[in-house]
Amino acid sequence: MMQIPCPFCGARNESEFSFGGPVKPPRPEPEAVSDADWTAWLTQVPNPLGPVQEQWWHVRGCGTWLTIWRDTRSHDIVEGPGDGN
Amino acid sequence: MPYDVTFTRLETQALYDLKGPQAALRDWAGDALPDFPNRPNSKTETGGAALMFIGPDHWILRAELDAEDALEAALRPADAPPEISIVRVSDTLAVFRITGPDAVEVLAIACPMDLHESCFGADAASFTEAFGLRSLVTHCKGGFDIAVEQSFGPMVADYLTRITT
Amino acid sequence: METKRLDRGGRIDRSRPLTFTFNGKGYSGYEGDTLASALLANDVRLTARSFKYHRPRGIVGAGVEEPSTLVELMNADASGNQPATTVTLSEGLVAKSVNCWPSPGFDIGAVNQLAARFIPAGFYYKTFKWPNWHLYEPAIRKAAGLSAAPSEPPAAGQFEARYGHCDLLIAGSGPSGLMAALTSARAGLRVIIADEGCEAGGALLSRKLTIGGAPAMDWVAEVVAELVAMPNVTHLQNATVWGYREHNYLMVTERSPDNPSLLERTWRVRACHVITATGAIERGLVFGNNDRPGVMLASAVQTYVNRYGVVPGKRPVIFTNNNSAYAVAADLVAAGITIVAIIDSRDSVPEEARALVPGVEVMAGKVVTEARGGRRLRGVVVAGKTGGSARRLSCDLLTITGGWNPTVHLWSQSRSSLRYDETLSTFLPDTPAQAVSAVGAADGALALQQALRSGAEAVARLTDTELPEIPHAPDLPYAIEPIWRVETARGKSFLDLQNDVTVDDVHLALREGYSNVEHVKRYTTGGMGIDQGKTGNINIIGTVALAQGVTIDAVGTTTFRAPYTPVSFGAIGGLREETVALPYRHTPITDWNLAQGAFMYESGARWRRPGYFPKGGEGLQEATNRECRAVRFGVGVYDGSPLGTFELKGRDVGRFLDYLYSNVMSSLKPGNGRYGLMLSDDGLIIDDGVCFRLDDHRWIVSTSTGHADAINGHMEEMLQTRFPEWNVFITAVTSQWNNATICGPKAREVMEALGTDIDLSPDAFPFMSLRDGTVAGLPVRLVRVSFTGELSYEVNVAPRHMRDLWAKVMEAGQPFGILPVGSEASHVLRVEKGFLSLGHEVDGTVDAYDLGMGWSMSKKKPDYLGKRAVHIRRETGGVRRELVGVISKSDRQIPEGAPLTPGGRKEKTEGFVTACVWSVVHDRWVGLALLEGGHSRHGETAHVRLKGGEVIPVRVTVPCHYDHDGEKLRS
Repeated sequence: MMQIPCPFCGARNESEFSFGGPVKPPRPEPEAVSDADWTAWLTQVPNPLGPVQEQWWHVRGCGTWLTIWRDTRSHDIVEGPGDGN
Repeated sequence: MPYDVTFTRLETQALYDLKGPQAALRDWAGDALPDFPNRPNSKTETGGAALMFIGPDHWILRAELDAEDALEAALRPADAPPEISIVRVSDTLAVFRITGPDAVEVLAIACPMDLHESCFGADAASFTEAFGLRSLVTHCKGGFDIAVEQSFGPMVADYLTRITT
Repeated sequence: METKRLDRGGRIDRSRPLTFTFNGKGYSGYEGDTLASALLANDVRLTARSFKYHRPRGIVGAGVEEPSTLVELMNADASGNQPATTVTLSEGLVAKSVNCWPSPGFDIGAVNQLAARFIPAGFYYKTFKWPNWHLYEPAIRKAAGLSAAPSEPPAAGQFEARYGHCDLLIAGSGPSGLMAALTSARAGLRVIIADEGCEAGGALLSRKLTIGGAPAMDWVAEVVAELVAMPNVTHLQNATVWGYREHNYLMVTERSPDNPSLLERTWRVRACHVITATGAIERGLVFGNNDRPGVMLASAVQTYVNRYGVVPGKRPVIFTNNNSAYAVAADLVAAGITIVAIIDSRDSVPEEARALVPGVEVMAGKVVTEARGGRRLRGVVVAGKTGGSARRLSCDLLTITGGWNPTVHLWSQSRSSLRYDETLSTFLPDTPAQAVSAVGAADGALALQQALRSGAEAVARLTDTELPEIPHAPDLPYAIEPIWRVETARGKSFLDLQNDVTVDDVHLALREGYSNVEHVKRYTTGGMGIDQGKTGNINIIGTVALAQGVTIDAVGTTTFRAPYTPVSFGAIGGLREETVALPYRHTPITDWNLAQGAFMYESGARWRRPGYFPKGGEGLQEATNRECRAVRFGVGVYDGSPLGTFELKGRDVGRFLDYLYSNVMSSLKPGNGRYGLMLSDDGLIIDDGVCFRLDDHRWIVSTSTGHADAINGHMEEMLQTRFPEWNVFITAVTSQWNNATICGPKAREVMEALGTDIDLSPDAFPFMSLRDGTVAGLPVRLVRVSFTGELSYEVNVAPRHMRDLWAKVMEAGQPFGILPVGSEASHVLRVEKGFLSLGHEVDGTVDAYDLGMGWSMSKKKPDYLGKRAVHIRRETGGVRRELVGVISKSDRQIPEGAPLTPGGRKEKTEGFVTACVWSVVHDRWVGLALLEGGHSRHGETAHVRLKGGEVIPVRVTVPCHYDHDGEKLRS
């Protein structure tokens, strides 16, 4: 059970959150890219062994969608929301 | 009775969901509201009304049901400018009041958040998890109030009955 | 029966005798005993049969490390596979051995010993593979069985699971744990200290040591008294810290909570810092027949003598490779027991060790090669380490110690690393991966003074405070020369007593190529028993190292996993059982539904709803037909409250909705609504629902019941992550509005009877519009939507008015024959109309075009979620499965999901039936199906092929079986 840093609420139990998947590159303008590029954007999701940037929704808390960097080997949150700024 | 607590489900209270920039909300309906809390997940109270800062640009106003008509008139939800959102949500929450010497033990069964006085002070008000549900937790005299989505009320009563009998 | 109890000493209460039953025979013991100590006091030596070979076994340990004697507790204590060494004796306790029938003395399975050479490691994998393992599994499980699960839940009391928070969690209340607790509690930290034993003290309970010149247990009592008086300390005994998860989240289960109504209580603790003060576990020695009843760990012998006042043998031989055996020997001598000899594998024995037992024969440089005896030990054979002349010693107890393993289980579960220490010949904590420190014996501080100091030091470092004064606590220094197995052993040499894994099994596994220690573990099952190899694993590692000619650290350990010791499922689940095992939701009229005899069940998103309202002896079909006829030919009412409802506010709501829905919503006029599909960006249909515009800036989005939460998250994600600058606010109001949906040709008459200030004429209030007003004197939001295909009014009120509204609807509707309608009838009515249900007609492969709803895929909007993906997929060509109606040509209901195959032949399916219901309009079975090329096959016959080959021909039609032009729903 992880403890996830919420920018509004502080550290909260993972059970308060809903997983929103790894962060993909920004959504391309659909008509500006090829079918192959669009399909690649849709289907290729980062899945590294190591730190991955991912989204969580604080659904049972303040409702914020937040972004963290989590190390998939250890669950360590190596960068919390806003840490990189 | 394993725990020295009593619980009651409170009657419906007047609740308003307020969203938007604090300044815009104050401009529109500041007179009808307690002062805005200055810390996340805390509340202020004036004359029976409590204003809870429960999310970014997001507050819950709570008062007795008797005050609902007056609040409706003061807040004018349908007329509010687009910069803010005011929605009556009085019926959306079932509020349980848990009081007694063991109230904190009962909350420790329900809720993963640390409710120790050093982290969850007298003016704290936060959405968190209770019995696996999204739930608004606040202090009340001699215990805690936990508010869950109204339709889960019977289940939470079921849980609390199991704990207290 | 010979009693083996000393006249005095120990922590038992001789004034409180207890009676108990073991394997059908009555015995007595004392308050403070464990089942194991009481059995030994009664000279019960043969207490178990082994897992695979059914060899006779006795008691080996004195705590959680016990590998041999597992018992099943009966009656009120019913539970299985409990080590006898951890069962607290209580009056009337009834226990039996788990792996023998009818008793360990006469065990039919013991014939396996004769075949022992034919059941080596991997035997099951190699033998029971044709036709498949599952054919043999039940019989093998029974033969090799452990306890069955109790057939009934515990009669009295309940389980609890709770959360806990602290600055410091200390696992273990031995000397180092208590020292850490005292130091940190005095520094003001919030401390939880939890220990698996029934009283604090750890190894001090078993040993005769002094702290500050007084008996060590006096110090323990003082410290505990100070701790329990402090409000910042939670002290738990009989509470095992059994799991160490990520982010310093640990699981602790109390087996005898202070609250008498609780059976067990689990604490899920989030700790800022953790100290593992978990002590050390003694490992065995590996020689021939080292499993005979009477071969016992030295620490266990010491515990039985000192703590329980029990003499486990009158003529003990001690076999050791380290100093700790000499302290045990001294305690035996002090209890008046004559030691036959100490066999020490070391060529030279430290003088300070010998000095503890002057006059006892010490045979240095010698090993035990073999234990003699069957159901009880008769003697041992002693020889030089590399052979040479053997000498036989007669004895009734062989006290063995192979050295000490720090209990690194929790440390390792935290992913913190280990290193092999040559001096101590064991693995020690190395680099922490989380906020954790190891102290005391768990960190290799095996002598008392060292242990006390390390507990205090860890806290001093943590709190940045001065090291307190450490009391004087003399102890014999530890020294060891490892011996992983006796190479001259004769007879089976067991590495894992619980799973009957021998040195030969490990050698076989290595020969067969299982060279990694994790593979050796799985192939031999060594260390995979309930005891998780606490006494034997490092000997397995040593045996592998010897065979491979590598060092111990090159072999490494297997992974330590939770739980450290077994945990009951009840304690994990806590209160979540019976009615609250799963969440459930009610609407305010649940009581009314139940009073009407409704058959209630879960019908999506945890809502418990009425399925149907049977009258008299009606079954599901009769009741459903009656309810459907009411709606089609008269009037019915259902509770539509569970539909997800959201209020959206802001200047950008229109374009936000245009992005979310595949069709255009922004063009809606206030008061009007539209049906639409929401797609995800990969083109899946994630919801269908209706959207209404209240005024310029306020909108209502209504979702299907089952997807309300998911759509809420979806909308918030899009808003917060893609369009944070857009002016949109989303408020969930599902539970602010309940509704009674009045539907059927007579719905308007019922509405008029209820009385309303809203003009109900179709021109003033047409289909897909919304009005605020009053109905029956209640403030309502009245919506003309229809999920049944009939004229329909959704009367929305605040839940506080719902019961009142419902009663008024039933009363006003009574002259028109109004009936309450359950979800079964709703399902029939929507299938007749060809309306979609996500999860039935819509799965991950279906798009709007397949559903005949290409009109909903806006051509005008340049972009919306899912647009590009749907079109790319369609452009790749291929045959699509398309939604059609089906009418059964037989009088049989087609099961949901039944496949359609070409001509009904046993071929690749060309689709499946998504729903099939009895139509009260057509008096026959009608349904919906997804069929390849279905849109161009209307009028054809398709074939359902059921399991077993039965074929049902169906006529393919348009999906809508009723009122195709929608005149009724618009009426």
